[in-house]
Amino acid sequence: MTNTWYLYLFFSVALVAAGLYALLAKRNLIRLFIAIEVVAKGVSLILLSTGFARGNVLVAQALVVTFIVVEVSLVATALAIIINVYRHTKSLDVRKLARLKG
Amino acid sequence: MIVQTALLIGLVLFSVLAIFLKDLLRAAISLAVASLFLGIVFFRMNAPYAGVFEISVVAGLITVLFILTIALTNTAEEVRESPLANIVFPLFFVVFIVIDALVMKGLLQKIPTVASGPEAGTFGEVLWKGRTLDLLGQIAVILAGVFSVLALFRKRDKHD
Repeated sequence: MTNTWYLYLFFSVALVAAGLYALLAKRNLIRLFIAIEVVAKGVSLILLSTGFARGNVLVAQALVVTFIVVEVSLVATALAIIINVYRHTKSLDVRKLARLKG
Repeated sequence: MIVQTALLIGLVLFSVLAIFLKDLLRAAISLAVASLFLGIVFFRMNAPYAGVFEISVVAGLITVLFILTIALTNTAEEVRESPLANIVFPLFFVVFIVIDALVMKGLLQKIPTVASGPEAGTFGEVLWKGRTLDLLGQIAVILAGVFSVLALFRKRDKHD
């Protein structure tokens, strides 16, 4: 692989690591979801840069577009669930979901 | 190359800001700025369609959805985050970046490039003709998203 690819790999690994750390350490539901978005950015960066390094940008682009569309549907569903959780528990704290009471 | 590196640094910086800013609204806007940087990186990698999708959908639509959710769940009681998490993060991140850089330096030229034929056709041809079954899957995912949002926001019956 070209040297540029390692640069992209370096940054996308950093993005994924920051997102995973926040997923483990944070408690606000919306913030957890922002962390998932950050991980998704790292993944789409590595997808496209691998295609770029191999000279297959078109296939990588098609994959990234698919990934973004799926991501949007995921975000819409997850945010609707977060709003419903907020209506039930009156809080965005993820620890309150562990009680498993109506 | 320098511009690309600067854009990538901006991307990581704003993503980290999005995770660690206290105000959720500012965090959502930082995420949008990070998406903007990623979109520009895509444009510079000769992938204009991915760039357009990234900027219009991720930086535009998802940010609007986030801001809407933040407005709908406006609560006086702030979620108490663990104080240790914010203190440990800079240390964790710096150590991780150093390890990351060392691993990448060690890996340089170690991963062979698998030979691939030259690409033919346009983006439209690759997007629509190169894929068959996964298009159905994608449509199913979008429909699942639509139906789940409808189900989650349906009006409750009187008996509920």
